[in-house]
Amino acid sequence: MTTATTTAVRAPLGRQLRSELRWIIRRPRTFFGLLSLCLVPIVAGVGMWVAMDGDGPLGPGLAAIIAGNGLVLPVFTLFLSLPLLLPLIGAIWAADGIAGEAQHGTLRGLLLAPVGRVRLLAIKAFGVAAMTLIATALMALVGAVTGAILFGGQGMLTLSGTTLPFVEAVGRIALTVLLVTVQVWGVAAVALAISTTTEHPLVVMATTLGGVILFNVLGVFEALDWLHPYLITSSWNSLADVMRDPLPTDQLWRSTALAGCYVLIGLSLAAMRMATKDN
Amino acid sequence: MNRRRVTVGVAAAGVVAGAAGLGVLAMPAGAGPAPDLPAVSAESLVESVVTAKPAAFGGTVEVANDLGIPALPGMPQLSDGDSKVRMWTDGEGRFRMQLPAGSAERTVVDDGAQVWSWNSEDQTVTKLPHDAEDRRRVDEAGKSSDPVALSREVVSALQEFSEITVDGTARVANRPVYELVLTPKPAERTVLREVRVAVDAELRMPLRVALLTNGTAAPAAQIGFSELNVGPQDAGLFSFTPPAGAEVKEETAAEPTEQDKAKAEEALGQISQQVVGTGWDTVLVAKATPELLTQFEQSGQRPQTDRGPRRAEGDVPQGDIQEMIKQLGKPVSGDWGSGTLITSRVGGALIADDGRVALGAVPEQVLVEAIGQVK
Repeated sequence: MTTATTTAVRAPLGRQLRSELRWIIRRPRTFFGLLSLCLVPIVAGVGMWVAMDGDGPLGPGLAAIIAGNGLVLPVFTLFLSLPLLLPLIGAIWAADGIAGEAQHGTLRGLLLAPVGRVRLLAIKAFGVAAMTLIATALMALVGAVTGAILFGGQGMLTLSGTTLPFVEAVGRIALTVLLVTVQVWGVAAVALAISTTTEHPLVVMATTLGGVILFNVLGVFEALDWLHPYLITSSWNSLADVMRDPLPTDQLWRSTALAGCYVLIGLSLAAMRMATKDN
Repeated sequence: MNRRRVTVGVAAAGVVAGAAGLGVLAMPAGAGPAPDLPAVSAESLVESVVTAKPAAFGGTVEVANDLGIPALPGMPQLSDGDSKVRMWTDGEGRFRMQLPAGSAERTVVDDGAQVWSWNSEDQTVTKLPHDAEDRRRVDEAGKSSDPVALSREVVSALQEFSEITVDGTARVANRPVYELVLTPKPAERTVLREVRVAVDAELRMPLRVALLTNGTAAPAAQIGFSELNVGPQDAGLFSFTPPAGAEVKEETAAEPTEQDKAKAEEALGQISQQVVGTGWDTVLVAKATPELLTQFEQSGQRPQTDRGPRRAEGDVPQGDIQEMIKQLGKPVSGDWGSGTLITSRVGGALIADDGRVALGAVPEQVLVEAIGQVK
């Protein structure tokens, strides 16, 4: 009894995380954002369904095997959104987390509150990470349902020409969701670091997207091939390995580790900035 | 404040660790120290390769080309740059090979009875009967001749034109290997400096082949395992079921009809093919007769009707071939006539305007000499 009264009572971490998540989800713009993300697989699926005329492939790469093979649609949609749309979504959550609070003047209160700044950053990062996972999982779910309705098919046809049973196909979709989410985390962590330096959320989004586009452009030049292994965007093409059978894991591990390095750098920079930030 | 300083310090360490991680990921995987293996003479190493029994394995082959030739669409494995081939074999003739190209893939499966070929780009499956006849013939040929005698022949044939040495040991795909080096004898006129073959110490199977040319340290072409699992492979890998909805084309390798045979003989008769030079200087020379050439030209001028978007990327229309040759090479002329010279870092091809062709791993001058010998 006595110890409880003398030591400062810290809010349990679980409750703080839950409250952060509730804050994000309750915002109307989050709802509309997620809703528009759900439209992506539907639009992509309907578009290809209309284009499907029975002869010839629907397009290059994954699109070629989508006819009669609906469970490929969630994977296809996630890869379609990875280069630009999902980094934008990650940047929006990250911009809202710190720069948004600063813009509304609420960050000051949070910094003054008896909560460690690193802990505050951790909670914000958790919010961004959880929302990214929710967004990709939602897209995959809508994509799988849309694909099953429009294209049907038993199991999942891989690029290698083998057909995976339903359970394994769902496993591959889940793996794609995780792999794509980790890549978006890499971008969002850097966005969070930018977010700690400004109080304008638009600056965060513009800088992050500009960076992603710059990385994509740098990845095109052959003369810069020494730089390519360092660019997070350059490993995104190799994620198509998830649709090969047997699953080749080396490139998937490599791209995940690369994104992990970006997460570490981004969060460390954000922590550094948060610790030295003036009230 | 002390706590703040600790946070900044830890965060700075995090940035450094992340950057170091990027550096580690960007570096090519180190091969590790060269293993200690019992010394072996080059002759016995070659003999053991010739007599080795095929093993069951699965692995990834990496192809690194720097040949200086233009890219072939849809086949990165043959173009400049790095690409991969994944392969599995049970050591008894059944195999599976997967060729990833971008986000597409070609798969070839030989299940012992049929050869299946799948292309994800157009969802087509091609089915060919497994050529059992051929294999039996090869088997019989192998049995009838003494493998040891055969290996001796191979060694002496190699030694006639090259120096064979064992240049230490190395690791390829995490397996210990002997580095066998074939160097052309000084009198040989070839653009190749040496051929390095990494031979697995246990299986006596070549795991990596590198072509090195004069003037550069890095190989012009290298093909080798980056990952190798020796042992029985999953039997399911050696069967193929065409996916539902895929178009299955069946190509029967039935006995060629008399008409086909006659046609083939006629075509062969129109091309006189010969070999000029020996050893590393070997130049393959061929000459197409004027009739064949005019046929070729006519097919080139045929109007193209299938230029639709459905045309697969890999198809090169006949008419573009001559255009392509002109684009790839540079025009040359001399006492022998005139034509186009296509050079790569491992050799060249000389295509004369009158249908003569010379091909070999030799410099231009040797090609010109060889083509001059064709009347």
